Amino acid sequence: MNELEKAKARYLETPIPAELHHRVRIAIRQGRQNRSRKNWHRSFAAAAACLAMLMGVLNLSPGIAMAAADVPLLGGLFQILTIRSYAALEDGVDYQLNVPAVEADSETAARVNAEIEERVDALLAKAQSDWQDYQTAFFATGGTQEEWGERQMDVIVNYEIKSQTETTVSFVVDFAEGWVSAQQQRFCYNLDLENDRDITLADLLGEDWVEICNNSILAQIEASVDDEGFSYFFPAERGGFTTVDTSTSFYIRDDGTPVVVFPEYTIASGAAGIVEFPIR
Amino acid sequence: MSKKEIDRLLTSYLIENQAKLYRLAYSYLKNREEALDAVQTAVCRALERQDRLRDPNALRAWVYRILVNICYDQLRQRQHIVFADTDTLDTGSYEDPLPDDSDLAARIDALPPDIATIIRLRFYEDLSLREISAITESPLSTVKTRLYAGLKKLRLSLEGVNVIE
Repeated sequence: MNELEKAKARYLETPIPAELHHRVRIAIRQGRQNRSRKNWHRSFAAAAACLAMLMGVLNLSPGIAMAAADVPLLGGLFQILTIRSYAALEDGVDYQLNVPAVEADSETAARVNAEIEERVDALLAKAQSDWQDYQTAFFATGGTQEEWGERQMDVIVNYEIKSQTETTVSFVVDFAEGWVSAQQQRFCYNLDLENDRDITLADLLGEDWVEICNNSILAQIEASVDDEGFSYFFPAERGGFTTVDTSTSFYIRDDGTPVVVFPEYTIASGAAGIVEFPIR
Repeated sequence: MSKKEIDRLLTSYLIENQAKLYRLAYSYLKNREEALDAVQTAVCRALERQDRLRDPNALRAWVYRILVNICYDQLRQRQHIVFADTDTLDTGSYEDPLPDDSDLAARIDALPPDIATIIRLRFYEDLSLREISAITESPLSTVKTRLYAGLKKLRLSLEGVNVIE
């Protein structure tokens, strides 16, 4: 056997981790989702931009156009509006922003709006500095303009109304930053506009809410272990799930089921992404 | 080919060739977790950007290009990478002692990544130089120059080395 054949044989012996096929399956699902989301974003953003142009309200304050898209008004107590909608490629960053705000005569709504705005600003600042650091490192380590080529970063802010009644609304705001690695965050808001307060898990599940959530989550983690004994969830002693508390994030599904949301990396490996448990 | 067919073709290609993709990623990163992440990112990105794949015949080269770029990016993030300038590449003289580790696989790993890429793709993955030129986005002539420089550096005789375009 000559040297090259030996090297090749050794290369072919690289051990393949058992979880590779799970990771590939997850990536396929994720990729498909991102693709349809991206396409949807593009068409939505294009439509919003056209409408804004038509109405002559294109307001280019710091690079952000006011959106023209309202979500249908319900009940009259409140409405969720897209206050910033922006889609553009700037300095290699592909921005797709749809930022919501709650329009209501309510302190809770005002607090939520301020919080969303602050988070969006922080995300944009962080994305820009991450991108600059990456570019600097790229060229400092010998990367050429040609190799840099079409490299771009995706910065996405989008929201989704999960459920609403005449007086309550549950919605999530998703942040994503994607380049070499992808990071995403989901913030949940559950508002009772009639009483001007946040809806809690105790409101939905009663006084035993902690126990109900914990039992349900532990059962779902247990059920996630596959035939080969593989699970994305960390064991409790290695930083895995222990209990929910008042800071645990959740949204309310259309059928009234609360869905508890854990950020990436908190109770499961990054490959699992944001983890959600419907509490039945 | 319809969009649906491309999606199906791409998905089955990725599933069937996951081990190959992992091996290639591992050969750059030498780290199990990072190699898994790189494959996951590449698969995700391929699915996400499948609309940019115009020619289904170029599918393999297209997927490898995505993966190789991700591995380079990862290496750059570690700031370990030094890309070779072929003109100044020190191919060593025959009087130089051979490196202590005479294991060829280790010597290939020690090459600058853009040269190691060509050697790996050509000899481990049996890709043609044309495909390698598409993957590395460099002209065929550059691929050849780098391949020869790499082989020379490895002290491999070109005799009996099958260099198919």
